Amino acid sequence: MNESANRHAVVVGLFVTLGLIFLLGGILLVGNLHNTFKSKIKVVTIFEDIGGLQKGNNIWFSGVKIGTVSDLHFYGKSQVEVSMNIVTKAQQFIHKDAKVKTSTDGFLGNKILIIYGGTSESQEVEDGDTLEVAKTTSTDDMMATLQESNKNLLAITGDIKIISKKLATGEGTIGKLLNDNSVYTNINAATASLQSASVKAQQLISSLSGFSSGLNKKGTLANELVTDTAVFKSLKASVMQLQHIADTASAFIANLKQAESNPDTPIGVMLHDKEAGASFKVTLKNLESSSEKLNEDLKAAQSSFLLKGYFKKNAKAGTGDSVK
Amino acid sequence: MENTELHTINKDESVISITGLYKSFDDVQVLDGIDFTLLKGENFAILGKSGSGKSVLIKIIVGLLKPDKGEVIVLGQQVDKLNRKELDALRIRVGFSFQSSALYDSMNVYQNLAFPLTMNYRDLSKKEVGNAVEEVLESVGLKEKLYQMPSDLSGGQRKRVGIARMLILKPEIMLFDEPTAGLDPITSNEIIELINEVKKQNNASSLIITHDLTCAKNTGDRIAMLFEGKFLKAGTFKDVFAMDNEHIKGFYNYNFIQ
Amino acid sequence: MDNSNNKKLLFSKGIDNAFISVSKAFRFTALFFKEAFKRPFHLREIFNQCFEIGIKALPLITLTGFVVGMVFTKQSRPSLEEFGATSWLPSLMGIAIVRALGALVTALICAGKVGSGIGAELGSMNVTEQIDAMEVSAINPFKYLVVTRVTATTITIPVLALYCSFLGLLGAYVNVHSVEAISIVTFCQNAFSSIRFLDIFSSLFKSIVYGFTIGIVGCYMGYNATQGTRGVGKAANRAVVLSIFLIFIEEIVIVQVTNWIRYF
Repeated sequence: MNESANRHAVVVGLFVTLGLIFLLGGILLVGNLHNTFKSKIKVVTIFEDIGGLQKGNNIWFSGVKIGTVSDLHFYGKSQVEVSMNIVTKAQQFIHKDAKVKTSTDGFLGNKILIIYGGTSESQEVEDGDTLEVAKTTSTDDMMATLQESNKNLLAITGDIKIISKKLATGEGTIGKLLNDNSVYTNINAATASLQSASVKAQQLISSLSGFSSGLNKKGTLANELVTDTAVFKSLKASVMQLQHIADTASAFIANLKQAESNPDTPIGVMLHDKEAGASFKVTLKNLESSSEKLNEDLKAAQSSFLLKGYFKKNAKAGTGDSVK
Repeated sequence: MENTELHTINKDESVISITGLYKSFDDVQVLDGIDFTLLKGENFAILGKSGSGKSVLIKIIVGLLKPDKGEVIVLGQQVDKLNRKELDALRIRVGFSFQSSALYDSMNVYQNLAFPLTMNYRDLSKKEVGNAVEEVLESVGLKEKLYQMPSDLSGGQRKRVGIARMLILKPEIMLFDEPTAGLDPITSNEIIELINEVKKQNNASSLIITHDLTCAKNTGDRIAMLFEGKFLKAGTFKDVFAMDNEHIKGFYNYNFIQ
Repeated sequence: MDNSNNKKLLFSKGIDNAFISVSKAFRFTALFFKEAFKRPFHLREIFNQCFEIGIKALPLITLTGFVVGMVFTKQSRPSLEEFGATSWLPSLMGIAIVRALGALVTALICAGKVGSGIGAELGSMNVTEQIDAMEVSAINPFKYLVVTRVTATTITIPVLALYCSFLGLLGAYVNVHSVEAISIVTFCQNAFSSIRFLDIFSSLFKSIVYGFTIGIVGCYMGYNATQGTRGVGKAANRAVVLSIFLIFIEEIVIVQVTNWIRYF
């Protein structure tokens, strides 16, 4: 009885132990089994430098994990042959002319192999194929490029520093221009006279429009005069031209002001350029003289027999604030 | 085996009846064919050297150990065939006093005594339990030790508390395992008197396992000598020690020289 | 019975004995489940044991949890500093403590403190015949001693693990605060942002399993202690060693299963 009880206990113990071992082993292995049971093909590639790639590193294709690095060993003089296990599911998407490169998972992550490219003209990869290696842009390379760009940047900023220093101290043409006050004064004066000219033009135009409304009143002398359509048309055209000139002038002044205040724009630079400044001065003078001429024209218009009556009336109504 | 007279006794009067009992541990045969009967209202003392299998015998009687072979009938029931519930019901009727007293050392005296009672009779009120505890404690003469921890008691006191804990369930059979072991002669005598007294009070049968001749002589109506797993002789003290057997003589001499 | 009968062994004596102890342990565990759901439940004793276990382990867990959290943060800082990612520290600590450290540290401490205590207590009860004394008083000692203690550890250790995790995070916060001076609200938001329900659930499940392991191993060792006082020491020692061993195995298995679920 004692003996059989013992035997029974041993058998129970044996079964419990085996059961536990299977359960434990099962749980620990099953995690990897679904990989083990997946059918795979083996593909080889030969690298000059694998950059720290290790057995078991992942292989990506279009950003999807399709296998692992199964083996690494030296090949030829100093090359490294990398064997890859790739799941057969991915086989149909990878073509024989696909390329392989090393990369990293994220910026600081594990080394990975990336298979990319390949054209549909080429056949699907098969077990034992060798894929070509592409020139890698590893993090190291990226860093090197970055380093180069950094150097260039440094050089550029150095140059800019020198230029700005020279500009500030008034060296060179632009510097001198920038630091020459007379040009600025000239421009200021020119714009002032332009402004006054345009004000006068405005006044003239408003007087003219007042006059022309008077023309519409029947029975007046002027009306009668104007019913002669030919004279009226030419008069109208000249008034419109005047208006146009005045508009252009004021827009030009606005542009000028802006340009002057912003010396970085091409206009600003141009403005501050000596030669350009000189020719501009000439232009301004011309402008000045043209506006003077405009003034004279206006005076002539005042004394013209056609408009004389109107201007007189206007001078009476206003408090002497009329065109001289 | 000279135990023929035991078998002449009417079985109806027996509370414990053992026939052909064998028990071994690993390679050692501890009990090698034991037959004996405990009668109602009788004190039976089993004498033997330590390691002679006395403790194993009474542990088999209460079902703490299973026999390899043989029939053990206690109060009409075969112990090794009972299920847990039946065994518990039987154990309430059979008291057991341990050699080491086996007091629960995380409980004080009161809790030690109340524990078997409250666990077996869950509907008892606190007062009823208190009364029962005081009663048994008084009967062993330790009323004032109610709230002491076992570690604060002397060996004799612990033995008494152990006996009180046995008594609290009012057993029909009392089993004493080495009641005088490790005690000085005066305390031993007190315990012997106590055993006789509680037996009278409870009108119970007792089985006393001892290696102490004095104890066996003073408590046992009949005694038996256990040697190498067998009873050498059963009968009254005079009968046993009148026998011309070297082991009995040796045991007798050893005890009284000491 | 012939003595030679006992020599009929399946393998050798040592191997047979090893299997016998496995089957004993298996039966012991099975008996627990059989007895645990039967009346009477000894709820008061379960409560007492919970309280005792909690009191026993609390100071040690308070200290260890806090220190582990703080030291772990301190040690992780340089690695994250390298990437300028110290702002991830709360998140890292949250994951480390909630997923792994809280339950594991608590289990290891309780295996040492509670498991050995149970082993020694039941061991000494066993060698001084107190368990037999219960048995002969018609009290089921397995139910009264083992079921209550195992239930208590299974309940208490998850609570202690939760407490340990809390203190671990507190320790981590103290260290993070001393350097980054972030508020506790920000810390908590960071720390809990990367913790999923699965993490908390698996941690809780783990500590329940650990609690059960500590209880059942301690009880088994104590309940089967032999050889007097020396056996008591042995039982306590074995309880610690075996339960720590089992805790690590369970950790591996549960983490594996959790990860399946996580990436399912």
